[in-house]
Order: sequence, then C-alpha cells, then structure tokens
Amino acid sequence: MPVGPFGIDPFIWAPLRLVIAVLLVVGLVFNGALAQIYLERKIQAVIQDRLGPLHTGPWGLLQTFADAIKLLGKEDIRARLTDKWFFLAAPSIVFSPMLASYVVIPFAPGIVGADLNVGLLYMTTLGSMTVLGIVIAGWASNNKYSLMGGLRSAGQLISYEVPQILSLVTVVLVVGTLSMVGIAESQPGWQLNVLVLPLAFVTYFIAGLAETNRAPFDLPEAESELVAGFLTEYSGMRWAIFFLAEYGEITVVSSIVTTLWFGAWHGPFVEVFPLIGVLWFTLKTYFFVVVFMWIRATLPRLRIDQLMSLCWKVLIPLTLTNLVVTATLLLVFPSTLVPVAIANWILLAAFVLLLPYVQRRRLVALRERLRTAA
Amino acid sequence: MVDFIEPALFAILTIAIVAAGAGVVLANRITTSALLMAFTFLNIAGMFVLLGAETIAMFQVLIYVGAITVLILYGVMFTPQSPRAYGLFFQTQKYWAALFVVPIAIFVALVAFSFRDSATLGAKGGDLLPLATSVFRDFAFPFEVASVLLLAAMVGAIVLVKRDED
Repeated sequence: MPVGPFGIDPFIWAPLRLVIAVLLVVGLVFNGALAQIYLERKIQAVIQDRLGPLHTGPWGLLQTFADAIKLLGKEDIRARLTDKWFFLAAPSIVFSPMLASYVVIPFAPGIVGADLNVGLLYMTTLGSMTVLGIVIAGWASNNKYSLMGGLRSAGQLISYEVPQILSLVTVVLVVGTLSMVGIAESQPGWQLNVLVLPLAFVTYFIAGLAETNRAPFDLPEAESELVAGFLTEYSGMRWAIFFLAEYGEITVVSSIVTTLWFGAWHGPFVEVFPLIGVLWFTLKTYFFVVVFMWIRATLPRLRIDQLMSLCWKVLIPLTLTNLVVTATLLLVFPSTLVPVAIANWILLAAFVLLLPYVQRRRLVALRERLRTAA
Repeated sequence: MVDFIEPALFAILTIAIVAAGAGVVLANRITTSALLMAFTFLNIAGMFVLLGAETIAMFQVLIYVGAITVLILYGVMFTPQSPRAYGLFFQTQKYWAALFVVPIAIFVALVAFSFRDSATLGAKGGDLLPLATSVFRDFAFPFEVASVLLLAAMVGAIVLVKRDED
C-alpha cells in the first residue's frame, strides 16, 4: 500500500488536502475581514481625530466579533418582489471567485496552493467574474437604485480592467513569466520591480481601488446617492458575504501588488528560515491594505463621468504608452533594465506633475466658456 | 489514484455541461438561460484545464463569463419582457428542433465513439508558450489582420451610436 505525506494513504490524502486548503482559506478570509474592519475603524478614527471602537474588549478589539455575531443572528429577509434564485445566488457568485484566487498567492517559499504557470491570468480572470454577481444582485433586487448600482459597477469594473491588465502586462514583459511564484522569485534582495516599474504600480493601484469598489471609486454602493446601490435589499449574513468578498478582494489586490512590485516573501532571514516569508508577505500586504483605508478616509468620491474619463482619457493612454515604451526598450536593450526604469520614472513624474496642471487648464477654460455664455 | 480523479472530474463536468446546456434551451425565463450559459462556459473552461490548456481556459472565463454574459444580461435587462412566462419563441418549435438535432446527435456520437487512442494529448507544462508562438510568430499576419478588422468594427459601432452634437 503506497504511503503519502504524514503516513496517510494518498487516496485519502488528496481529498483531505483539498478540504484543509479550503478551510484554511475560509479562515484566512473571515479572520482577515474581522481584522481589517477593526483596522479600518481605528485608522479612520485616527485620521478623523476620534478614538474609534473602545468599549467591547481591550481597545475595542472584540467590537467586530460582536458585529459578526449580530449579523449572523439577524433574520434572513428577502423582499417579496425580488427574483428568488438570482437574489440568493448573487452573494456566492461574488464571493467564490475571490476565495478561489487565494490558490495562487505565494505566501512563502514552498507555501502556495498551486504554482500555476498562468497564475496572474488566473487572478485577473477571477476578478472579472465578480461583475456578473454584482449585476445579478442589482437586477434581482427589483429596485431602481440597486439596478443603477449594479449597472454602474459593471461599467466601472469592465472599464478599469483595461488599465489594470495593461499594467500587469508591463510587469510580465519585464519578468518574463505569468507564474506568481516565478514573479516572486525574480526579485531577490533589493531588486524590487517597483524600482523598475513605478508607473505600472501606480496605475495598477488606482485601477485596483476601482476594481474593489473602494473609495474614491465606491459609487456603485454610494450611500448618499444610491442608498448603498446593489446592497440596498440585502441584510444580515447575505449582506455580510458581500462585505467579506470586498475585504477579501482588497487583500487579493494588495497581495498582487506585494508579489509583483515588492518582492512577495523576500526579506531578511528568509534564506535561513523560509517560514518567516509568511510574516514579510503579511506585513507588506497589510501595509497596502492600510493605504487603501488611508485613501478612503482622505479622498472624496468621484462623479460617474469623472470616473469614466479618468479611466478612458488618462489611465488607458498612459498604460498603453508605458507598455509600448517598455516593450521597445526591452527589445533595444535586452540585457539591462536601466533604460526601462529611467523611462518609467520619467513617465511617472510627468503623470504626477502634469495632471494638476491639465486639470487647472480645463477649469480655466470651463470658467471662460461660462463667462462668455453669461 | 490520479487515474481515478481525472475521469471523475470529466464525468462531473460533462454532466454539468449537458444539463446546463439543456437548461439554457428549456428554461422559461431568459435571465435563467443567460446565467446557465455562464455556468456552461465555466464548465467548458474546466474541460480545457483537464486537457492541459490552462491559458485557453482562462481566456474562456475572462471573455465569455466576464464580458459576454454580462453583455447578454444587459441586453436582457433592457428588453421589455412579455407577460407570458411560458413558451418562448423557439420552444414552440420542438418537433422541428428534434428533427434536426437527432441526426446531428447520432453523427456526433458516432464520431466520438470512433476515437480510441488517448495519446494525442500535448506535452505537459502548459499551453502558454505554444499559444504565444503561434499567435505572435507563426500566424502573426492573420492575427494582425483580424485585429484591424475588429478595430474597424469597433470604430464603426462608435460612429453608429454617436449622437450629432448641436
């Protein structure tokens, strides 16, 4: 009889491994969401000069647990005129692709669900499936605001997928692999991709904010204009599943940023003791999660036309230029990345410096036109 | 052990594809059909993975589930739906449908059962490299022609829907 790992029959080990992996990821997502909600409240409180949750448990640590239990205990309400099966299916259609994308995240050397050779493509594919769930949620709610939220979200997600994928392609061109483990291994020591491709990082991060429906791009679920959009008719645990998916998606986007631009698990002492890579990976990922929250507390929400023009008039031309420049320079100088890095830093500087200037010019032109019209 | 899992997965995927495909045609509501179609596409992507063509599976999901199904749902949502819930247009033609489907099904079954060797599978290690070389090296010119054609279609669509500015 063949003996697999831990002396278990491989026939039992294969399904057991699947169950353990799924349980681990579900645990990771649930606990991650609890931690992130606490973190979000505390960070927003600090930025807004408040104290945040304080009374439940030490430093208010148990507040999110109490909220989770409250959500679980709530009655499962479904309005009579909603579309039953679609309404019930939508949260899982949003949640399960997010869960599945944890398979390819490289936590540490050797600690990865599966090293797919198309790992990055797999991630973006699963990200694009979320749209379907949100459109269905908006439509099945049988509510005008929800429908508007769902449709806005579909437009936003499909538009921002373009700059997102173009930024990822730039990195793939430089690294030469789609495998997440391969990308992580290509950045040992201080040779981080962010030093070579800072512009791709910035554009991906902006597109990632839009992909996860986070502020300042959270208008599909805007409370003040759409009464929370596609979430209006949901309550209790179904509502919570949408939010778990949102926080899980934030973690996924942050870990993509960590893996592609910030060297994944690489850090001091990893060569000696590989498990410490998990610590570095988590720290780097949560740094970007905190940046997400910082942005939410700082920037006001965009209008829908500003959102679309930012994507189609600024980000897509910029990422396309970046892609063409990077590809050309890689062909001209195949042995060194220095010209690519110089071009990327110049483009980033141009983007950061020119954007306010162009905005001001447009404002002046608009005022001029209003004055002549009046 | 692995010899047992692959046929089992194949069986599950096949049943799901056939059942969901039948559901697309037989369902009374067009939104249900659209969602079942997305489910069929997902299972076909699973088939591609079983065949060792991960990249094609990913594009299958990215394009068909992420884009085309959403487009169809958009179309369905903005189409006024008739009050009659039963008997969509094509469901009233089931005898004609049967007449055409049965001979094709017999032919497909004959072809499928005539395959005996299973050694036609490509080498392990993914299909990313073969796909990339065939698209960007061996068939670069037809690929570019197709993309120019698509670009022309896109520009045409934009011109058609663009309102005259006054």
